Amino acid sequence: MSLVTSLIMRQMRVPIIILIMGYAISILGMVLAEGIDDQGNPWHMSFFDAFYFVSFTATTIGFGEIPYTLSNAQRTWALITIYLTVVAWFYSLGKIISLVQDPMFREALKENQFSQQLARIPDTFILICGFGETGHALAQALTERNIHTVIIEENDKIIQTLPLEDFPLVIPGFKGDARDPEKLIQAGLQDKKCAAVIAVTASDETNLKIAVTSKLLHPDICVVCRSELEEFESNMFSFGTDFVVNPFETFANIFAMAMHSPSLHLLYDWLTGVPDTDLTTPIYVKEGHWIICGFGRFGNDLYKQLLKSNVQVTIIDPSEEKREIFLNRPENKNNDFIIGTGFDAHTLTVAGVTKAVGLISGTDNDSNNLSIIMTARELNPDLFIVARHNKKSNEKLFEATQANIIMQPSEIIARKIRTLLVSPLMIAFLNKARNQDPSWANITISRIMGALGDSVPSIWTLHINEKEARALCQVLRLGRVIRVGNLLQNPRQRENQLEAVPLMLKRKQKLLLMPTNDIAIKSGDQILFCGTPGALRSMQWSQNDIHSLNYIMTYEDTHDAFIWRKVQQFIKRSDRRNRPRQKRHIMK
Amino acid sequence: MNREKVVFSFFMILALTLNFGFFTGDVDNPSHHNVYELFAVIVVNLIATVLKFGDRSQMGAMLLATSLVALVQLFSASIVWAYVVNIQGNVMTADTMSTIISLSGGAMIANFISVILLIIETSMMRH
Repeated sequence: MSLVTSLIMRQMRVPIIILIMGYAISILGMVLAEGIDDQGNPWHMSFFDAFYFVSFTATTIGFGEIPYTLSNAQRTWALITIYLTVVAWFYSLGKIISLVQDPMFREALKENQFSQQLARIPDTFILICGFGETGHALAQALTERNIHTVIIEENDKIIQTLPLEDFPLVIPGFKGDARDPEKLIQAGLQDKKCAAVIAVTASDETNLKIAVTSKLLHPDICVVCRSELEEFESNMFSFGTDFVVNPFETFANIFAMAMHSPSLHLLYDWLTGVPDTDLTTPIYVKEGHWIICGFGRFGNDLYKQLLKSNVQVTIIDPSEEKREIFLNRPENKNNDFIIGTGFDAHTLTVAGVTKAVGLISGTDNDSNNLSIIMTARELNPDLFIVARHNKKSNEKLFEATQANIIMQPSEIIARKIRTLLVSPLMIAFLNKARNQDPSWANITISRIMGALGDSVPSIWTLHINEKEARALCQVLRLGRVIRVGNLLQNPRQRENQLEAVPLMLKRKQKLLLMPTNDIAIKSGDQILFCGTPGALRSMQWSQNDIHSLNYIMTYEDTHDAFIWRKVQQFIKRSDRRNRPRQKRHIMK
Repeated sequence: MNREKVVFSFFMILALTLNFGFFTGDVDNPSHHNVYELFAVIVVNLIATVLKFGDRSQMGAMLLATSLVALVQLFSASIVWAYVVNIQGNVMTADTMSTIISLSGGAMIANFISVILLIIETSMMRH
């Protein structure tokens, strides 16, 4: 029992005792008061009658004078009863209702409800700190994959509206400041079921504090942090934060990927996107003269990537200080730095917008970015535009500008963390894919499109172990050979292929990209697949159901039940007896 | 002197004494057991139970439990009484009376434990 609950209970003592006393006095009085029965004899109510009479009188129901018409003495006492008990009821009810509505008590009830929801989570959960746009997108993606999440958020309104949102799983929400270690513990940080903490609040400082707290209080937990400033990033890594996600750096890497290999970028986009949305088309980033408006964290990261591909860059930024630093660096000698804001036609013309191939509007102010894009488009309609989009509420405006790439920090972080947590093998796959030649990505894209059609595939990892693939392990132990191609057969109709593509096979430390169908699998392998959700369900059948697997492997249906097995054996035996000897030999 | 403790102990001991008063006498003789006394026992027990609400200590939990046991016993006794006399309309027999008395005897043991616990708690306090 919490302190608040016991305090409330303590305060309920007086109203309840008043009620008991009121009833007791009234009942006793009714029993003692002399009445007359229907034959005119003196008569006293029994305790049963009196309790009945007082009960309906006190609650103002009033059935009347039961069982006999009351005498004047009884009526006098009935009058006292009415005022005594009705007033006692009003007083007690009012008091109890006001106690129940006490804000402290309600808070205690909510906390109680939260810990119950937490206890009801069957396996592991992920604690998300901060329920902004990123947290929301992550909670959606994780719950869709049947991973439980718990939210801690400072804003009361967000926690209150949480149950109204339509998530596939119940998400317990805890109201509290995540900087406070006590609150983090209450939200389940030290719970054995807590598998990971994701710190995605808007402030780097808060995220840092969460990461420190988590690593100290629950050292073997996986901690993922959002960070926008470099000094915080290195600080976070210094005490063992598992992943630090920087939206600008991540985006710059993706941008570089799009520039060097559009097909690889497309592959990345498909494999990390939200399943069941439409597939995107490739983006071709042109090489030539680029203009960057706003030289902050975003502009800087993109500039570094552009520098690598040896294109000419002009930077527009109002800060003199940044210009000094920029021009003093030897690697920047080919490039220009213009003082200005970038949303006036003059500065843009000086920067050479008419001859430029691309423009990056990367200030941290959405109105400025929109204005830059509009002005630049007017001066040069063929510009390739990269827009930085800061606030979700401006989404429609940015869509209307038809910028070629729109960078939204919260979406980028959500995508990165989703990939990290849901399919860790995907990161390894993408890293390996980067080192392949461009035609490899084209072949892979056409394979995925050929097998899956035109919506973003689901990604899953098949672990060949007892827990996730019981039937497979059973058959492998018998020494039989199962190939990757067998996994792709439909357990309902083995001639048909499932709509899935194996992307990578991991055997111990070795990674094999795009395993071919004839590779034999071993126990302990991990295989990364992409495919439709239906293919995933079918594949689970052949992994876990020995009969489905047998059907795929041996072209015959086996039966589990004793009688059926006997019948089958009998049929086989008689088959053998009827068959010519030689033929049997060949069959074997 | 703690006023809360006085009220608390008063009701608990009163519950025990009244219970004893109702319990004494021949088990099967209705004239030895007064219905008013049973009524008083129930009311005093109810109050004693409510007084234990919201006590977070281990002792408080034990006292609440014993009081609840006593209440269950006393309610059963009064229901038996009301059922036989008021619902079935029979006169009180020796059979029924002994049932009621044995139920109230159980309640008395529960009340007795309450008082013992109270004494233990008091003696453990250091001044």
